[in-house]
Amino acid sequence: MEIRKQTFTIIAFLTFLFISLHSCKKDGASAVSLPVVQAYLYGGQAITVKLYQQKSLTDTAKYGSPIIGQQLSISDGSNTISLSETAKGVYTYADTTFLAAGKTYTLSFQYLGKTVSAQTVMPQKTQLFATQHSTVNYVYGSAPDIKPDTLNKFTWDNPDSLGHVIVFNNLDGNNFPLAGRGGFGQQSNAFEYDTEGKSVFYVVSNSFPYYGNYQVTLLSANKEYIDLLKSNTIGANSQNLLNTPTNVVNGIGIFTALQADTLSFIVYNR
Amino acid sequence: MLGFTVIANAQTTGQILKKNKLDRFVARPMDDLLDTLSVNYGLRFVFERDSLHRYDVVERFFNEPLNKVLAKVCRQFDLHYWVDASGAIYILQDVDDLARLKQIAATIKPLPPPVKTVTAQADTTDEQDVEALYDKDGKRKREVSRKRAQPQALAVQKPVEPLPSPPENKVHLLVTVSGKVINQSSGEPLPSATVRVHDTPLSVSTNSDGAFTIFRVPSDTCTLDISFSGFQPYSFKLDPGKLVLPLVLGLYPSLSTLNEVTILGQKSGVMNTDVKKVGVLQLSPANLDKLPSLGEKDVMRAFQLMPGVGATNESSSGAYVRGGTPDQNLVVFDGFTIYQVDHLYGFFSAFNSNAIKDLQLFKGGFSAQYGGRLSSVTEINGKEGNKNNTIFGVDLSLLSVNAFMETPVTSNSSLVLAIRRSYQGPFYDKIFKQFNTSSGFSGGPGGPGGGPGGFGEQTTPASHFYDANIRYTNHLDQNDILTWSFYSGSDKTDNSRQLQLPSFLGSGTAPDITDYTKYGNLASSLKWFRQWNSSVYSNTYLTYSSYFNNRERGTTGGYTDDEGQEQSFSTSTVEKNNLYDIGIKSDWVWTMQNQLKLKYGVFASRQHINYDYVQNDTSHLINQHNTALLGGLFAELEYDPTNTLHLQPGIRMTQFGPTGRFYAEPRFSASYVLNDNYTLKFATGQFYQFMNEVTRDDIADGNRQFWVLSNNSSIPVGRSRHLMGGISYENDQFLLDIEGYYKWLNGLTQYTITQTGFGPGRGTPAIQEDFYSGTGRAKGIEVLLQKKLGNYTGWLSYTLADAENKFAVYGTNFYPADQDIRHEFKAINMYHYSRWNFAAVFIFSTGHPYTAPLSTYSITNADGTRQTYFNVSGKNAERLPDYHRLDLSATYDLLKINGDKIGSIGLSLFNVYNHVNTWYREYYLQNNAAVTTNVNYLGFTPNITLSLRWK
Repeated sequence: MEIRKQTFTIIAFLTFLFISLHSCKKDGASAVSLPVVQAYLYGGQAITVKLYQQKSLTDTAKYGSPIIGQQLSISDGSNTISLSETAKGVYTYADTTFLAAGKTYTLSFQYLGKTVSAQTVMPQKTQLFATQHSTVNYVYGSAPDIKPDTLNKFTWDNPDSLGHVIVFNNLDGNNFPLAGRGGFGQQSNAFEYDTEGKSVFYVVSNSFPYYGNYQVTLLSANKEYIDLLKSNTIGANSQNLLNTPTNVVNGIGIFTALQADTLSFIVYNR
Repeated sequence: MLGFTVIANAQTTGQILKKNKLDRFVARPMDDLLDTLSVNYGLRFVFERDSLHRYDVVERFFNEPLNKVLAKVCRQFDLHYWVDASGAIYILQDVDDLARLKQIAATIKPLPPPVKTVTAQADTTDEQDVEALYDKDGKRKREVSRKRAQPQALAVQKPVEPLPSPPENKVHLLVTVSGKVINQSSGEPLPSATVRVHDTPLSVSTNSDGAFTIFRVPSDTCTLDISFSGFQPYSFKLDPGKLVLPLVLGLYPSLSTLNEVTILGQKSGVMNTDVKKVGVLQLSPANLDKLPSLGEKDVMRAFQLMPGVGATNESSSGAYVRGGTPDQNLVVFDGFTIYQVDHLYGFFSAFNSNAIKDLQLFKGGFSAQYGGRLSSVTEINGKEGNKNNTIFGVDLSLLSVNAFMETPVTSNSSLVLAIRRSYQGPFYDKIFKQFNTSSGFSGGPGGPGGGPGGFGEQTTPASHFYDANIRYTNHLDQNDILTWSFYSGSDKTDNSRQLQLPSFLGSGTAPDITDYTKYGNLASSLKWFRQWNSSVYSNTYLTYSSYFNNRERGTTGGYTDDEGQEQSFSTSTVEKNNLYDIGIKSDWVWTMQNQLKLKYGVFASRQHINYDYVQNDTSHLINQHNTALLGGLFAELEYDPTNTLHLQPGIRMTQFGPTGRFYAEPRFSASYVLNDNYTLKFATGQFYQFMNEVTRDDIADGNRQFWVLSNNSSIPVGRSRHLMGGISYENDQFLLDIEGYYKWLNGLTQYTITQTGFGPGRGTPAIQEDFYSGTGRAKGIEVLLQKKLGNYTGWLSYTLADAENKFAVYGTNFYPADQDIRHEFKAINMYHYSRWNFAAVFIFSTGHPYTAPLSTYSITNADGTRQTYFNVSGKNAERLPDYHRLDLSATYDLLKINGDKIGSIGLSLFNVYNHVNTWYREYYLQNNAAVTTNVNYLGFTPNITLSLRWK
């Protein structure tokens, strides 16, 4: 009798352990149906929001299929506006006065039975954006004497260490690599740098890629955009893969507000 | 010393064989010859008369010692002789006959004391005393012969002078007996040997120096039974009046080919048992060559065959114990901590089995004597070295050459020297490439990755590893032993090469890339053992351990630009992680009574970690210099209120400088012997960890791993709590052991340093440091079924387990930890046939969890460029395919005529059916689509090993 009791206890214990080990299963399959939101709200400009579907892993299309026929609205806390679909999956609002610094904007729409939403704050416009040189003649080893190998310095007012992104757009469209670091590989005409909350950006010969005539834009950017910028898919493997950061609830992508200021900068060789 | 009397019989036989010479012509059957020798020299032979009678010895011996005579005769007929601890000489046709002959001999009355001869001119035999014996089936008749010495006409014989009989001593009651158990043939102490007082429940295990103390032995005429795995058991009768001297009890090794399981779950009743320990695995490397191996007998890999230790991480020899990670496993070698526990990207452990006496792995709930890690402890003790003879050995394999020497230096000191070095043959290259070809490679401590889209490396990197062990032991006097141990090991890779220039840069001198990687350990300790009195001894250590992981890369070159100008450029990066650990500790054991033992000690250490990452000599991307002072004490009581109950409460207190806090770690373990077959056991405790091994992701050049100290801010002090229990059943043939565990962990750190901006258009080179901290839990059941004896031995191991982590960065739920394995099944089969040992090891496990992309999506950034991102499954939500493989091996023992093993030849086949086991998956985007590639573990790989020993 005693033995039977012991056996029963042991079996009960093992069963309990087995069950407790097999509980808590999760599923993430519905994640592939989340809509992709892409919206950059520039202060004082019209609004464009693009909606895409996600792509299957083997899909070679550049973008996912547009999501059409949605009712999108954006609220600034007191007013709510509706966007109209002006092209497939492209939703716009033409009034340029709606976006103003300091206000919080909330995007909202229903998709597949869920409310998709995202929120962003329009930053203040950055003051005193300036370049030290508007043109630089660069031959390897002969950089201007700001500091070794530094070609130029952009400065702006940033007492609160807010986030900024500096965008270089090569208007010539040519890719002549700067010699200093060899400049391997073909890059696009535009590229951007995170300025890490500083108020200065140095153009350094060993990291600046190409000669050219640049339109330089300083963007006051929110954290959600800088987080997105920092993530990338290069070198991803199953041991380090992370989801790309997003501020969209029940969706993925980016809904962020930016303020822009633009300068010109030319790097040439003789 | 009394030790002499213990081993007198075997030693007397040895001396008789050595000193007496035969000078005559012999022409007679072999059994007849043995009879003669037996009579004339007082030797006891055990053999099968039927078989040996067929052999005619016709030989002229010219004044040759008897051992040579025996060797000559045995060699002629392909026989072996073997002297056992009692002094009997067994003549074996096959080494497996020993057990049977012993059984037969045991049925015969013991002989009177041996006779010592002075000269030898033996001739005929006189009185024979032959007993007829029968097989088990009772059919075939065999004879085992014994000879009783009689005075011979030509031989001058006299009885041996008996040992001076002790003066009339009174028998003392309830005495304290202390002493030491040693290996009689090498003089080395035997730790964990069992000393039992005959016909009483009194039993103790020897400590790491082979010493033991038993209180309240009923009388000083009792008999002690001494046993240890791999050695012949021995019984020693205490002698009143000689107990004033410490006993030295010498055991003789078993005939080496006798198959014995050397990896023991040291649980109730297994050979060499200590029921008082929970979750302890013990291993002595001597017989590791009977298991399949890839190049090197690997002590850490052997542990992985036991339940509770993960076996499917080919890229790490570190121990994944009960849901823990390798950096949660403390590895202590002769008192110092080893930080880099493997070679060659984790494929081989950093420990040379030829330099190791024994290892213990505490799978959790461990004693208060150990601390500083969350999961487990591996304690490794170096060999003391042969005190009687100089021994050389060499092991050759397709991977490395391994040479060692053990030698007495003076009458009371000995030296062990062991050196290993790999050579870059095809086998080394195969493993090197396997673990070193992918861009996102991780798991190794670093190395040249050469990712896709690189510049077409033209050369194979030069790479090797080496390690060296030196250990010097000096018995200063009867109570003091001083040991100096030195360990150095490193892996070096030189991946310097010339780049192919991209065509748009025009022609010019191709750039030279220098690329050196070096990582490893340098460590040393000085240990002073002192036996203060029969009940107190101490071990005091001065330790030093350093870890380094350095990489230097440089590119210099020049080219001619479009306008014909010569241009040159030069870049360099230097990345260094160095850890220096200096410590002192003193551990004391005070055996108060048989039932009561107090262990206590103090420890203090200083750890200093440098981490520099310098670019172009000027720009310090990482510049960390941290120091931690750590000190504390521990106390632990081993209390046996009854013969069946063992209680072991303990506490460890640590003060950790950087946080300025005290950390208390209470521990408790217990065991209860239900009856001869069943034992229950239990352990619990709290554990802290003050440093972590972290990974720096490096997309282009492979991830690198570093040690960092906990601090008050971003890297918390880790804490775990263990709860473990188990039951074991054991009989003569089998052991069944079931254990369960649950662990709570918090203050886990995942620390990644991601470098950004190292390509054109990617911004200024910068380092982003991310500290994630989280919690974890692990639970599981382990089942071990072991067959302990016979020609077929082995075990089945099954583990059902679950290890989960929760880090805010991955969400609010627990997810499967990287090392989480649900089911793991291991079958270890060893079959012994004569001088052959065959082994088959089958391992099956559920696949590791991994994170997979579910889909991709593209959006346009603010600069107008399009970026594609992965939408990722939940962290570790997917499972890789199941892991399984079969390894086979065959080993042939090389024996001397007298049965001593002088080496072995082995063939190992790894992953025999070439199953593709996936290590991890890589993802990259090509033509807007996501491409997945599998990075796999090693396929079918054969290896040959040769081991040789010389005296």
